[in-house]
Parts: sequence; C-alpha cells; structure tokens
Amino acid sequence: MQPDNNDRSGEDSIDRRRLLQALGAGGAIAIAGCSGGGESGGDGDSESGGGSGDSGTQSVQFLTMGVGDNIKQFFEENNAAFEDEHDVDVEFTSVTWDNARQTVNNRVDGGEAPDVSRWPARWIPQLVGKDALEPLDDMMDGEFGEQFYDGVAEGTVYNGSHYGVPWAASNKCLYYNKDVFETAGLDPEDPSLDSWQDMLDAATQIRDSDASVPALGLAGADAIETGSQYYHYHWSHGADLVDDEGMPVVNSSGAVDALSLYTDLHLEHNVTQSSPLSSTRQDIRQLFENGDLGMVIGHVYTGLNITAAKENDEVDFDYGIVQVPRGPEGRYSLFTIDTLAILSQSEHKDLARDLIRFYFDEERRFQYSKQKGFLPVVEAVGERSYFSDSENWGPFVEAGQYARARPKLSNFSEFNDRMVQAIQEALADRKSPQKALNDAQSDLEDAME
Amino acid sequence: MSLAEEYTEASDNSHLERGVAYVQRNSRAYLLIAPAAVFLLAVVGYPIIETFRLSLYQSPADSNIETFVGLQHYVEIFDSDIFYRLLWQTGRWVVAGVAGKTLLGLLIAVHLKGDIRGRKFFRTAFLIPWGIPYAISAVVFRWIEHPQFGYLNAILLKLGIIEQGVGILGNPSIAWLGVVVADIWIGTPFMAIIFLAGLQSIPQELYEAAAIDGAEKWHQFRYITLPQLKSVVLIATLLSTIWTFVSFDVIWTMTGGGPISSTATLVIHIYQVGLQNGNLGRGAAYSVIGFLFLFVFAIIYLRIYTRGGDEL
Repeated sequence: MQPDNNDRSGEDSIDRRRLLQALGAGGAIAIAGCSGGGESGGDGDSESGGGSGDSGTQSVQFLTMGVGDNIKQFFEENNAAFEDEHDVDVEFTSVTWDNARQTVNNRVDGGEAPDVSRWPARWIPQLVGKDALEPLDDMMDGEFGEQFYDGVAEGTVYNGSHYGVPWAASNKCLYYNKDVFETAGLDPEDPSLDSWQDMLDAATQIRDSDASVPALGLAGADAIETGSQYYHYHWSHGADLVDDEGMPVVNSSGAVDALSLYTDLHLEHNVTQSSPLSSTRQDIRQLFENGDLGMVIGHVYTGLNITAAKENDEVDFDYGIVQVPRGPEGRYSLFTIDTLAILSQSEHKDLARDLIRFYFDEERRFQYSKQKGFLPVVEAVGERSYFSDSENWGPFVEAGQYARARPKLSNFSEFNDRMVQAIQEALADRKSPQKALNDAQSDLEDAME
Repeated sequence: MSLAEEYTEASDNSHLERGVAYVQRNSRAYLLIAPAAVFLLAVVGYPIIETFRLSLYQSPADSNIETFVGLQHYVEIFDSDIFYRLLWQTGRWVVAGVAGKTLLGLLIAVHLKGDIRGRKFFRTAFLIPWGIPYAISAVVFRWIEHPQFGYLNAILLKLGIIEQGVGILGNPSIAWLGVVVADIWIGTPFMAIIFLAGLQSIPQELYEAAAIDGAEKWHQFRYITLPQLKSVVLIATLLSTIWTFVSFDVIWTMTGGGPISSTATLVIHIYQVGLQNGNLGRGAAYSVIGFLFLFVFAIIYLRIYTRGGDEL
C-alpha cells in the first residue's frame, strides 16, 4: 500500500517550482486586476479612480444601467470613438437595474460619484436633494436642447432647472394576439379595443371561447412595475397620485373605480391569468411573447422581441398593437424617461459635457433607439420613416400624445410600494378597493409629512 | 466611620489593588492581544456603535442632513402594528426553517452514516444545494413554483390534480411556505454534514453494548445518538437560527417580501425602509432591535443547553 500513498501524495502536493509558478501567476493576475477598471464594462485600457492615467490622458467615468447584449457593442464602439476623438479614457461601468440605485447612492455618498451617469428621471429629486447633480440649463436652454421633444425635455426639469439630458423614453400600448382574437370570433383587424369596457368585452369573449389561453395579462406581484401597469387605469378614471402641493390623493372616487376595475378583471370576470399576485410585468410580457395570452399592456420591445422570435421560427402567431384603452376621463400611456446627468462631484465637467454632446449625434441616437427598443427622444430621429412607418414603432410614436409621467417625488419608491400594497390587498380580496386606498392614503399622508 | 464602612472601603481597596496587581502581572499578555483586540473593536464594535448612533437620527433620502431625534424611531416602531407582524413572520420563518433543516439534516445524516450502497456519491450529492449561490437557488424555486411557467404546477396539471396553475408565491396565506421550502432545501446539507460528523464521533462500542442488551434501533437513537449529538445539535441549530434570522437572498429573490408583505421578515423590512426608501435612521433602529433579539436569544439558548454542565 505504501507505493500507492506515495503516488497520491506526489500528485496532490505542489513542489517548490510549481509553487513559485503559481505565486507568479497570482501576482500577475493581481497586478492586472489593480491596473484594470474594477467593474469596467470591458474597455480594457482604462485607469481606475483618478482623473488621468499613467500616460497623462484624462479619464471620464461613465456609469449606466442595464446594458444588455443588444446594446453592449453600441457602447463599446462609441466609447472607443470618443476616446480617439478627445484623447481621453472612458471608464465605462454598467450595473444591473437591481443594483443600480444602491450603486449610485453608495458612490455619491462615498464621494466617488462618476462624472456622467444614466438613470431614470424619477431619481432626480432625491439626487438634487443631496446636491449630487449639476444643473444643465446651459446645455438644455440652448441650441442643444432644441433637438428634444418638448414633453421629453420637460421630464428632466426639477425645481425649475434641467438636471439631466433626456437619454431614452418609453411608453406603452395594448398588444393583442390576432390568432386568439380570431379563435374567439373577434375581428383581428378591427379589434375595437378603444375603452376599458371594450377590452373587458373582448376578454370575456375570449374567456368563453375555445381559445385555450388567458384573455388578459394582469400584473400584481410585489414589484415596482405593478404600479406602472396599474396607473393607466388610475389616471384614465380621473384619479391622481399627488396634488399640486405634492400631497397624496390616491383614494378619490375615480381611484376606487379604477382599482375596482383592475381587481374585478381577476376576481369577478376571471379573464386574467391565474394568480396575478404571482405575476410581474415581465411574466405577463413573457406569456404574451410566447403566444400564451390574449392581451397585454407592453412596451415597444415586446413587439420587437416577437418579430425577432418569428424570424427565428421560435413562435408563430400574429399580433396587433392599439392604444392603451380610454377611461371615463381620458387615455394615458405611462411615460418613462431616462436621463444622462453630470454629477456635481465630477472634476471633469467639461469633458462630461463633451461626452453627452458626442452621444447626441443624430445617427448615434438613431442606432441606439433602433437597437435598444426605446422611443427616440430627439425629434429628428423620431421623424425618420424607420419609426413612423413601422408597425411596431408607429403606435408608440402615436402614443406620445397620451404620455404621462409619474410624479417627481423624492420618496417615490416608498410611495409606489404603498400603492402596490393597496393593489395587492384588493387583488387578494383582503380589502375592498375603497378600504385599500383609504389605508394607503392614510399611510402616505404620514410618510409625506 | 462605622465598622461596616471601614470593611467596605478596605474591601474596595483590596479589590482595586488586586485588579491592578492582576493587570501588572499579565501586562505582557494584554500587550500581545492588544492588536487583535483593537482590530476586533474596529471591525465588530464600530459598525454596531455606528448603527446605534444612526438609529438616533432622522436621515431622509433626499438630504445629507441628519437630525437628532433620540429614541423616536424606537417609540414609533414599538407603537406600530407592522413591527409585531414582522416579529410573528420572522419567528414563523425561523422556527419552520430551522426545524425543517434540522430534522431533514438529521434524517439524511443518519442514513448517510449507515453502510448504504453509493454512500460516497450521496454524501457528495447532498452537498450540492449548499454549494449553489442562494440567489440562484431562489430563482430556481421561484420558477418551480410559478403558476404559468413552473414544473410543480405543470406536473399537478398533467396529473389532473388542479385545473389551473396555483400561485403559491402569490397567495398571501401560503407564500411563506413556498419560500421556507427553498430555504430548507438550501440549508439542509450543512446540517446533514455537521450531524454526520457528530454521528461519526460517537463510539461504536456504545451501540454494540446496547444491541447486546437488546436495545432496538429507536432506543439506540433515543438514548445514545441524541444525547451524544447534543452539543453538535446545539451549535448547528444556533448557527442555523442566526443565519435564517438574517437571511435575505432567498426571500428577496423569490417574493421581494410580498405579497402584501406576507413574507417580509425583519431583515427584509430593514432593507426596504433603510436602503430602498432611504430612511436610514429607521432602518438602523430596526437593525438594533434585531441585533438585540439575536443577542438575547443566543445567551438564553446557550444557558439552557449548558445548564447540565456541558461545555461547548
């Protein structure tokens, strides 16, 4: 047995030469790690932390969120082009949306804010309150600012100043599955989905037909997006979230009607997928994209995803897009704007402005909107036939007239969480819509004091 | 000065003198442990003190300005219904999770100790769940339990047991069970391995003697295995309790604390209040309360288990 043991020990142990090799390799990795850019998004040569690299080249830190595979190459190519054009290093970092807010707050609070960052416009109030943002009126009030749609440019204004440049926008429309409509005896080319009642009638007909899929996707999970799916109902019934003084007004009679409709779709009419409380917005979008749902309120990329999937023979169904249904007090499409901002901690504000101007070259904007599936924020881009003539994009460009953004509140996250709780309480039949909203109103008043 | 006072003073002096003498006698030892003590104070003590300090301040999300509010956060927390609901939900989560992991771990350990076919394979296989990052396991379980996309519902539908998908994680009454199952699956291998190590340290002679005396398997387990495993069970369940109490990934990934906050524990609420909503002071107050709960629990737990004179 002795020889066996010796053999094994020979295999498992590391002799001095191997140890030195391992240490050398480890050292090389450590050195490489130190000279890299931490969470750098892959633009290899960047220097971390400082304002200039060893070569004396200035660097600008660019933080953004949620760069998926479809857009990664866009940033890599354009950052490289900016580096060549301005003889600078772009330290590009992308974080997932889940970590985005915490990352931003940590970096701002820790005095390590990036020079330029992209985030949702709804974060502006909190960051302005921390004196974290540089006003950009000098850019937005001049020729540069004239290229944006008025409503989009307005989305970056807080306390009378622009605290960002609109980077991207998104709104929503109602998708319907033409195959399901046909099976249910509805006209797929003229779906008559103008009002919520029309939508409910169609859903009821689908429910009672041979169509083997749920008629309507309803979001109710504990996620921020549940609020953004519901607010269409809320606003179109004449309800609001806050008044002119920024105080909550979530339990008006219109709000009760809206939440009643939302919950009745599930509890009374049974036209939704089972257990909406388990479903996030992404879940119901996925169901629709799989062809397993009659209707869903979704973004433009839902259509783009289906088109791509059809080209790859992954799904086989036709769909149509109409405006989000109208309520008794109008029609609204939730409008979300992402902005590019310059941080007040930045020591390279001029360079940061150059980077922003660089990214607003018309062709670059066109490529970004096209690849990412966001609505153009620059008028000249939006007017291109690629968008206006497209079956996927056309309805969303038209929906711009119904656009409405969430209120800019420094504690919007807390506000929205409480609204989602009210929606869940009603959807779970734990409270009546009136009681759920009354309780939410009371809690929100306390929170906003 | 009365006799009693003289005695007290003399006693105090002698205490002080004895103390000084003790320190002088051991000065070299104190000097040697000083760096480690300073390091511990810095990395363990400072965060605790800073959390307590923070809990005395109002720190709104949209401002860097902190306002001293004293114990206001604590008063409001103890006055709120949410706190007591969170306590109940946290207790339910910890008790069910630790009990499940302990019982299942013990069962697996007892079977793995036996001379079963493929023992090495099973010992390795049972470790796999523990080797997977918690968040990944939680995502997998979320999908398993999903009403539209999940395997669980697909199987039940195929068998005709249900007519449409059941949203376990969307039902406020049972969502916590759906999360506990995932936590038990993740945490059981640790318990099993610890128990297995404990079982292997029990002298085989005890079982042989018991068998000769005619003790059946159950009696051997009851009167030999369990008492011999006592200290192992103590440590394993204490650690498991602490880990389950502060567990965040599984709940957050699977339900985000919902629906209607039905799966939220103290830790989830701390994250929501302190980091999501930016109310750091309130979040810190909840953290201090949670810390005190664990601290008191650990002391009571150890007292009870070491009452018989056992040492860890």
